Amino acid sequence: MTKKSYVKAVDGVSIQIHRGEILGLVGESGSGKTTLGRTTIGLQQPTSGQVIYYDSSSRSHEITPKRITKELRRKLQMVYQDPFSSIDPYMRVYDALRQPLYYAGVKDPAEAREIIYKTFDEVGLPHDLLSNFVFQLSGGQRQRVAIARALMLNPEYLVADEPVTMLDASLKGLIVEDLRRINGERGISILFITHELPVAKVIAHRIAIMYLGKIVELGPTKKVVENPLHPYTQALLQAYPKLDPSLRDQMIKVNVKELELVVPKSGCRFHPRCPFVMDRCKNEEPQLKMVEPDHYVACFLY
Amino acid sequence: MQLLTESEAPKGDKMPLLKVENLKIYFHMPRGNVKAVDGVDIEIDEGEIVGVAGESGSGKSTLALGIMRLIVPPGFIEGGNIYFEGKEILHIPEKVFNAEYRWKRIAMVFQGSMNGFTPVFKIRDQIKEVLEVHNYSGDPDQRVNELMKMVNLDPSIADRYPHELSGGQKQRAFIAMALALNPKLLLADEPTTALDVITQTHIINLLKQLKKELGLSILFITHDLALMSMLTNRIYIMYAGEIVEEATTENIVKNAKHPYTQLLMEAVADIRKDYIKGIPGLMPDLANLPPGCRFYPRCPFAMDVCKKEEPKLRVVGSNKVACWLYQG
Repeated sequence: MTKKSYVKAVDGVSIQIHRGEILGLVGESGSGKTTLGRTTIGLQQPTSGQVIYYDSSSRSHEITPKRITKELRRKLQMVYQDPFSSIDPYMRVYDALRQPLYYAGVKDPAEAREIIYKTFDEVGLPHDLLSNFVFQLSGGQRQRVAIARALMLNPEYLVADEPVTMLDASLKGLIVEDLRRINGERGISILFITHELPVAKVIAHRIAIMYLGKIVELGPTKKVVENPLHPYTQALLQAYPKLDPSLRDQMIKVNVKELELVVPKSGCRFHPRCPFVMDRCKNEEPQLKMVEPDHYVACFLY
Repeated sequence: MQLLTESEAPKGDKMPLLKVENLKIYFHMPRGNVKAVDGVDIEIDEGEIVGVAGESGSGKSTLALGIMRLIVPPGFIEGGNIYFEGKEILHIPEKVFNAEYRWKRIAMVFQGSMNGFTPVFKIRDQIKEVLEVHNYSGDPDQRVNELMKMVNLDPSIADRYPHELSGGQKQRAFIAMALALNPKLLLADEPTTALDVITQTHIINLLKQLKKELGLSILFITHDLALMSMLTNRIYIMYAGEIVEEATTENIVKNAKHPYTQLLMEAVADIRKDYIKGIPGLMPDLANLPPGCRFYPRCPFAMDVCKKEEPKLRVVGSNKVACWLYQG
């Protein structure tokens, strides 16, 4: 008999998302960022730990797949990565929006119509698209429909899981601008999940860097980008290509090894790749600690 | 006499390694021919890394597949010529091309090619198969070990199955397979797209190292201009099946002339910037192209002439640009 083994996709994460805030959750694929995002809206049962949602009258609700109610579901929404598979291509756009409204309890057609038109305006799509089939839309239009669908019921918290990753360079900026504007107008809180730190930089108020299931750095965007503390964050910032051929030698200097398939059994998860590894890092796991105001890092260097 | 004609022939301009001339690749569709590549000219010199940049659907991957002669129906070559070391290779018999050029002199790393390995065979056997198919004369096992070292992998990794490798290792192994027959030109189509950014850096550094050590020429295809600026000498900007601008990397970055190039640069997510701009509008339907410039429906500087007549690629300063702002 083989022993049961577990993948610790998200391992001991504590994080707060403030009202009206965009928190950028950055990590490479497999770091657990999507799992964390899904857990925060009750799509995934955590093995241990809690997700608490405070509603506008400051009442607290524990969010789990079993306990989530229709009322709570309206408040916690999600936009998925791939607009080509998250919406049924053979539905008319209007129906793709009408159906979730119906199941959420908006049965009156006139009311539904009003909501759909209003949200469609908000994401900047022309009304005549509503009678099109979803497959007739471009990638950017589809992602806007997906955003409209998540916004229809006035959620207070939105998980945007890599909403621009599948989109062309020419569209990324447009969708990022949309989300930022919507955040400003509605005061909605957004967990913006991405593997692209430069995208998180332009949209998020705060950034959390995730590495193999752990948050390794957390702080205001400016601080994380301009004064990165964790060696992993530093390597990321150095590794992003810059639009300037005179800086190309910088790339050669990235001194962090490639990701290995094996997760270390003890110590800091980053230690096999870390250029500053010390003995302590191999045995003990560093905890997230405040190093300067609002700026947290999990690293023994500090 | 013979000496004279030979020394006269080059006339100062040296022969490029690869020259693509007025290449047209169309796809037969019920609604008409989709003109994925429509009259493209490019040149790559020996030891050069040249970039082709453009958004998805601009035809850049089709161009690379065309050079490899891997276009399958409904796609077809409508016209043009491709010269490799001065010899025409687009219209020679498939048998000759396959025996002498494909993978032997021109190899390709495909988009997402790290998933291009069969999961049921070891890496070593898959690379050995390539050697066998192309009648490699030396010791294949030794060659595999050599290749693995070339891409900075331990030779023992070749004895693993693809699923036992990380994404970066698989991509390296695929590059090793592309180098198996010692090609002179490598077509790299978005070779780092599915990799995390640190691994991407290592792969880019590997390509630079291979260029230096093997004198390899590389055609590097990506939509990421920032990444492209990190390793190319020259850049072609492609839009809707055509080259709209060509210049040295330096000149594209500092002195872009075509409005599309300028917008594409604003759309780059560079960590030093505080914004990313989008390019509103859509690429035209390649089966139903508007008259005039293909970019004019999205162009902030569109003029009357742009709607009527298509601009040709012309020398403007140190760049080549197809735009009416600089012509007429």
